[in-house]
Amino acid sequence: MINRIIRQIQRYKGWFGGGAALCIFLGLYTGLLASPPDYYQGELVRIMYVHVPLAHTSTLAYSVLFGGSIWYLWKRDPLVDNMCQASASICALFTALALITGSIWAKPTWNTWWTWDPRLVSFTVLLLILGGYLMLRRLVDDPVRGGRYAAILAIVGGIDLPIIKFSVEWWRTLHQPMSFSTRGVSISEDILIPLTLMSIGCWLLFAYMVMVRTQILYLTELLHAKKGRLLSQTHFSQTTP
Amino acid sequence: MPFFKTIRWVVWKDLISEWRTRETMSSMLFFALIVILVFSFSFSMDQDAARQLIAGIIWVAFTFTGIIGLGKSFTSELQNDCLESLQMSPAPKGAIYLGKTAANFLFMLSVEILLFPLFVLFFNLDVIEAVGTLLIIFFLATLGLSAVGTLFSALTVQIRAREVMLPVLLLPLAVPVMIAAVEATRGALSGDPFSFYSQWIQLLTIFDIIFTVVSFWLFEFILDS
Repeated sequence: MINRIIRQIQRYKGWFGGGAALCIFLGLYTGLLASPPDYYQGELVRIMYVHVPLAHTSTLAYSVLFGGSIWYLWKRDPLVDNMCQASASICALFTALALITGSIWAKPTWNTWWTWDPRLVSFTVLLLILGGYLMLRRLVDDPVRGGRYAAILAIVGGIDLPIIKFSVEWWRTLHQPMSFSTRGVSISEDILIPLTLMSIGCWLLFAYMVMVRTQILYLTELLHAKKGRLLSQTHFSQTTP
Repeated sequence: MPFFKTIRWVVWKDLISEWRTRETMSSMLFFALIVILVFSFSFSMDQDAARQLIAGIIWVAFTFTGIIGLGKSFTSELQNDCLESLQMSPAPKGAIYLGKTAANFLFMLSVEILLFPLFVLFFNLDVIEAVGTLLIIFFLATLGLSAVGTLFSALTVQIRAREVMLPVLLLPLAVPVMIAAVEATRGALSGDPFSFYSQWIQLLTIFDIIFTVVSFWLFEFILDS
């Protein structure tokens, strides 16, 4: 009765969770304790080991949502719809965390919590789109139609996001020069090792969270379906003696 | 029914029902007038401030009025179950989308053209030389807004809280249109040479093409029950 893929997830998700925990532990250790402070940014560089992987992972999560939505419209597989919903909420979480950590980094560096930097603006728009997505899912009564509408929104958003990023970058660079640019700065090994570890850790964490969330969504729907069938059976037996 | 004939009929139907009720256009016009008034209260406008802010004010007014028109576009189909007839009709769904988009585009553009002289009057704008470019900008930006907006108008009409959800879903996606329209309008009004802001017009064109095609394709999944 339970979907084969859900069983596979049950079997293998522990590896992802464990791998995520290990990578993030090692990444945090090398990043926060073992690596030296940065020449320019000092101890501040350490927040980058959390912020950059979070931002990467939220982009990855949106790509999963985008691909899954196209697949769902094409094949109409309800499990893919569950996966899309799972990655949307987790993508929103990672995006919000990336914005918050970015803001904490910006306060000492740019001396402001918030500036209309292109990347900040495009991530905020991404968060707004995801908020709309999650609201939309709750506002449609029929779950099948809800999944389809949400997939449409995710596809339009996925095509729009590069254009948004592009237009916002144009808009800001025309008005004021970028405050901070990584172009031409090579990254040393001290920074690269914790960054890579944390990135892999965040990707594994994302995969693990999507697996668990997909399972929950799938099983909840299954439960509701079974409960409905059970209720209608008792109703049936009561009305027709 | 052939494709282009369907488009023509959908546009014609919307224009006729608008002509008979005059609901959409009049509510859009009044709303836009109120927006202009609120703006002139909230910023004490002298000539310099007006020049700085006017492009943004124009596009906030146009976008919000556009959303009113877009929302009406499909809620009017709820009466007498017209939406279901559209769903069941053998007409190609893409043609229905293009017809609806064209009708919305016409409503929005005519409201904009009616309103713009009021902006010129109220905010003392000097526009004689820029009228041609401004018309191009209005045309392209309105096309982009109605291309995405018609898709989301059809999407939100069958959900709860539809009046709120249309702007919530549409506005973040319309960010490129807003930025490009405001920047191009500001360039045109301040008398910059065309090459200074032609990139924004290019961006609008690209947005229009991409989102007309994408929405055309996705619209089928909305009306498919």
